[in-house]
Amino acid sequence: MSGEKKTVSNTKNKYPWSNYTLKWGRGEPVSTTQYVLYAMQIAAVIALSYLSVTVFGPLSYAGISLFYFVYPFFLVFTMWWGIWGPIGAYIGCVIGAGLLVGTGIVPSLAYAVSDFVPPFFAFVLYRGLLANKGYDPLWRDLTDKEVAGVKTKRTGAWFWFVLINGVILNLISGVIGVGILWDMKIIATNAFWPWFIGWIVGDLVAMVIITPVLVKGLTSLVERQGLVNHGWIT
Amino acid sequence: MLASSDVEARASKKYVRTFIFSMRTGTPVEKLHVITKFFMIVAMSILALYMFSIPVSQGGPDIIGLALLLLLTFVLLAIARTAKYLANSYLVLVLPVLLGQFFWWLFFNWSLPGARMLFYFWPGFLPIGVSTVVLVGVFGLVYYKTRSVVLSLVPSILLWWFTVMPGVFSFSSLFTWVRIPVGVVFSFSLPQWSATVAFSKVLGFGVLIYTSFLFLLTTRDTEIGGALKQLRLSFRKSFFVMLMFRNLNTILMDYENIRSAQIARAANVMRKNVFSRIIDLAYVSVPLVATMIRRSTEMGVALYARGFEASHGITDYKETRRFSYVDFTIIAILAAFLIYEVILGHSITSLLMR
Repeated sequence: MSGEKKTVSNTKNKYPWSNYTLKWGRGEPVSTTQYVLYAMQIAAVIALSYLSVTVFGPLSYAGISLFYFVYPFFLVFTMWWGIWGPIGAYIGCVIGAGLLVGTGIVPSLAYAVSDFVPPFFAFVLYRGLLANKGYDPLWRDLTDKEVAGVKTKRTGAWFWFVLINGVILNLISGVIGVGILWDMKIIATNAFWPWFIGWIVGDLVAMVIITPVLVKGLTSLVERQGLVNHGWIT
Repeated sequence: MLASSDVEARASKKYVRTFIFSMRTGTPVEKLHVITKFFMIVAMSILALYMFSIPVSQGGPDIIGLALLLLLTFVLLAIARTAKYLANSYLVLVLPVLLGQFFWWLFFNWSLPGARMLFYFWPGFLPIGVSTVVLVGVFGLVYYKTRSVVLSLVPSILLWWFTVMPGVFSFSSLFTWVRIPVGVVFSFSLPQWSATVAFSKVLGFGVLIYTSFLFLLTTRDTEIGGALKQLRLSFRKSFFVMLMFRNLNTILMDYENIRSAQIARAANVMRKNVFSRIIDLAYVSVPLVATMIRRSTEMGVALYARGFEASHGITDYKETRRFSYVDFTIIAILAAFLIYEVILGHSITSLLMR
């Protein structure tokens, strides 16, 4: 029995990121600092969503931006802070890319689901599957050759990063978002494809450019301060 | 205990900060409960979406209903004393969105049923009339606001073209007073309904945009916190929502400061392509998030030091309002309007045109 336990324990600690899992948390209540941090990151996502759809034009067209640069932010926030990332993405889209640019409350509440889906499933895939295959769920392997003495698989990390977040989840998000706006007759009947392509390209370009900068500049700092969530909640 | 001078200062406050900008206190809209305001924007949003989506086979969009809704929104904005702020800031910004809507719904809606109508890229003459008034008026208004010839030319020429394009305008003596022959005619055909549908989208989007602004310009974060407590949400949860909204402006200001710092370090000296500008934007992200994390830890410590973890029996927010008969009346009227239009399927246009 003790041998079995030892084996399990060794497998769990195979990688320096093995303590980042899909559990609820560390069994501790949310601390005051975390409480403020989660609220602040939602506020940041709201502000950045608003800027994403206004920075390349006076106001957006129905909340769709050709450079939705908040996309990498809420993806990285999800990797750091679990479920608070997708919640921030949803609220950010409703208020920042919806109400503040005049998309209207009902369409905003509906199409914001498209921003909840990618970070949610990215978190599940990275922490539940890829972390055990040797890929860092905090994405440090995109920029670093090694993490805490463990050599990283950079090519594989980039492959999965682009495939999962830039292609699969982005396509699902685009279908949901543009589909809902199209169904609500906010996007013109024969204009689904131009807006769908705009959505996909806007998210993909932003993700590829900004994510490595954010990860390289901040992940180690956030981890050092003990602010990375071990599970979904804390 | 507050000193009597503080109480007087609070009572005599004429303006209070809202989500965006500030609002005048004491107006009828300011006195409404935040739940009423929320219900109002939801109801008007549903009505606008429904009115501009009525299929052509069922009589087409409810144009008069949409126009009335837009008028009601402007009246509410005027009552809330926010119309001047909107005219000064958002009016010009909203114009391209509305023009964009018109453009997309006019040209990307070719599967509409019914007869087709002739439109003109160029009618073969330079029309002098209402279209000229539109050109000069829009150019003047946008130039007055932006002081940019290019920014003023784009919407004014586009709007001018929209008034020249339909044959009913350019060939009508009421709209076109003088015709100066220039070039040859270039025409194309579109479904007859496309212009009506496009116009209804402009009105509907106007309702969606301005009702959103009505809510954001007349609502305070503390009102939302108070309403959430009235809905029996715990203090921790309602304070979390308030923290979120309170820090929105701070983060926008941080972004502006970091951008200004970049510019001060000569980020804008060289003319850059779009790709370089995007990379510039990426470099804003690190200090922005770092500032956010630093502020969060400081605020967390401050809250902890003030006994946040042990808080109980918290006093209600001063801004918390009770539901009044005015709130109930507004909700009842809007609910009746929703039932009449959306559930029973009536339309104001068909009611008045009968």
